[in-house]
Amino acid sequence: MDILAKLGILANAAKYDVSCASSGVSRKNQGGIGNSKSFGICHTWTSDGRCISLLKILLSNDCIYDCRYCVNRRSNDIPRASFTPRELAELTIQFYRRNYIEGLFLSTAVERSPDYTMEKMITVLRLLREDYEFNGYIHAKVIPGADPLLVYSAGLLADRMSVNIEQPTEESLRLLAPQKSLPKMFASMQQLKEEIQAHKEARRRFRHAPRFVPAGQSTQMIIGATPDSDLTILRTTQTLYQKFGLKRVYYSAYVPVNQDSHLPALTASPPLLREHRLYQSDWLMRFYHFKAEELVDPQHPNLETDIDPKMAWALRHPEFFPVEVNRASYEELLRVPGIGPKSARRIISQRRVAAVSVDQLKKLGVVFKRAQYFVTCKGVCPAKKTLDPAAIRRIVAPESPITQLSLF
Amino acid sequence: MDYLYDGSFDGLLTCIYHHYYREAATGIYPQSFYQPNLLSPSMVVETDPALADRVYRAIEEKISARALETVYHVYISSAPDKENLILGYIGLGFKMGAKVDHYHSHPAVYPVHRLERKVIGEAHRLLGLLRFADMGGFLYAVMAPDHNVLPLLGDHFAERLAGERWIIHDKKRSLAIIYNGRDSSSCKSPVRSRWYITDFSYNLEDNMPESERRWQRLWQTYFQKVSIESRYNPRLQSRCVPHRYRRYLVEFQIPAPGHDSETEDSRKRFPRTPSIPPHSG
Repeated sequence: MDILAKLGILANAAKYDVSCASSGVSRKNQGGIGNSKSFGICHTWTSDGRCISLLKILLSNDCIYDCRYCVNRRSNDIPRASFTPRELAELTIQFYRRNYIEGLFLSTAVERSPDYTMEKMITVLRLLREDYEFNGYIHAKVIPGADPLLVYSAGLLADRMSVNIEQPTEESLRLLAPQKSLPKMFASMQQLKEEIQAHKEARRRFRHAPRFVPAGQSTQMIIGATPDSDLTILRTTQTLYQKFGLKRVYYSAYVPVNQDSHLPALTASPPLLREHRLYQSDWLMRFYHFKAEELVDPQHPNLETDIDPKMAWALRHPEFFPVEVNRASYEELLRVPGIGPKSARRIISQRRVAAVSVDQLKKLGVVFKRAQYFVTCKGVCPAKKTLDPAAIRRIVAPESPITQLSLF
Repeated sequence: MDYLYDGSFDGLLTCIYHHYYREAATGIYPQSFYQPNLLSPSMVVETDPALADRVYRAIEEKISARALETVYHVYISSAPDKENLILGYIGLGFKMGAKVDHYHSHPAVYPVHRLERKVIGEAHRLLGLLRFADMGGFLYAVMAPDHNVLPLLGDHFAERLAGERWIIHDKKRSLAIIYNGRDSSSCKSPVRSRWYITDFSYNLEDNMPESERRWQRLWQTYFQKVSIESRYNPRLQSRCVPHRYRRYLVEFQIPAPGHDSETEDSRKRFPRTPSIPPHSG
């Protein structure tokens, strides 16, 4: 099989992995090729609007597992292919020097055994880092069940590693991926977390101590394959951030690829809006100091679809508003719909030299359309009249789309 | 008095010097695009590096190093009135000092910050969207950016592709960065001194060796294969990769049956519920 055919099969099989971040680490070019920028660089966007930053590819799609949601499950009749480590390393370098990609996202099906697979992945990473002296970004998947020592040696070569937990609860996971188990995956995450901390500590003392997964770890959950609520998902997310110090949790709207009685029908369309609302909540938790319990609670276990989670929170908490832009703290400003970290910082920076007035809000990057009901500037409320939450809701999320009336 | 300059950064700074020490400028314009008018007399200012240097250091010391960067970023933009924006911004800067950058919504500051964001944004975008082709011995990339961002790309690629020889060609302005590879003498020199910008009007696109097509085919295949069909969303794609950049992107040059018919096909295969256009009726 030639490289073109292999690339086709193994890229197609890797596309359901969501993570594509190339940020969070600086690496210098030390005599070889490539470097990494902490801000991350996207190189192109495919027709589904997702960015390509890394060459996201499987080393092999020849899997011994039979996870129900996965295209590569053993019982599927699809073409199988495997790269040799040398082929894949060469492909990465050739793409990289043409500036097609920022680095490599290496994942793989479990071939023969977890240990065998992990060893093969390490061979690729070693070729890149040592033979080609490649200093671009590398994201490597942890193969569940691989020996901790192998995970450790991969971590010394990669910038980011990820263990995909796929489902927020043990029950859902058992239903869909009977050969995987949540406690085992948490054990891998714990190992990564401890090693990352230990190496950070060591680098504080010794400048040349080796780096271990410097861009941190991430994970991914499939949304909509099981009936788990947003509350369950966001709670799990919060736990992952707090307990394992994850850099990112990715959500992947379930795309039906297999016919199975445990799964939504093949004709079901992916729950893209729900995925979007989860990402918004995720951002609120990471950059806006929100807690999962503030966004969803047992009475409202799912996020609203017609308004964003921050607006929903604001409408449930009228007692918090209006916020006086010229006095509020950074944290208070962040609670206002339409104000984000950037505009909040600009407001605070401008306040040092001049008070902020209503007509300046837009210039400071505030989304006036949403913020107008929730702020005052020098005591003046920008909205023409103060409204109650129900009235605001009618304006920001009209019941039905406004349609032009027919003349006849 | 309208001051006319030769288009160089030093020329612009010289005009600013004269604005303060000779006669206040009513406006600064590039000599080549200036249309004389009866109301304001004009004068061609000869670029003087010594005077320019004094203004350069004054901005750095009396305002801030960050403000100097801002001025440079606005200078390389293609906004028609950039010189006067800079004049207004520096004027306020000399009064307020470093605090000028806090005054985000001031009419002399806001347009400058906004323009700077556009320039930096485009430079950042091109760090990803630039495509090199191996011409046999050196790498060659073409682009036609909105702003003159070439100076902002040199360091990045000189570090990243340190061991290669490469050319980045700005077709719109007939300029190029030339980087001649890592040699023993330049290894220790700072990254900035290893590349230079020069006039460049060759057209190398047609000289691409056949071997390069193979890598381009691989990339095009990869690009098509990683897209998830049931998430088809060309509007999102257009927002991220505006059409004006696609001419020089390998992955958007899908060979026959032609790119356009290709997107039409996929539209038929994955119909989307029609969304109501914002201004229907």
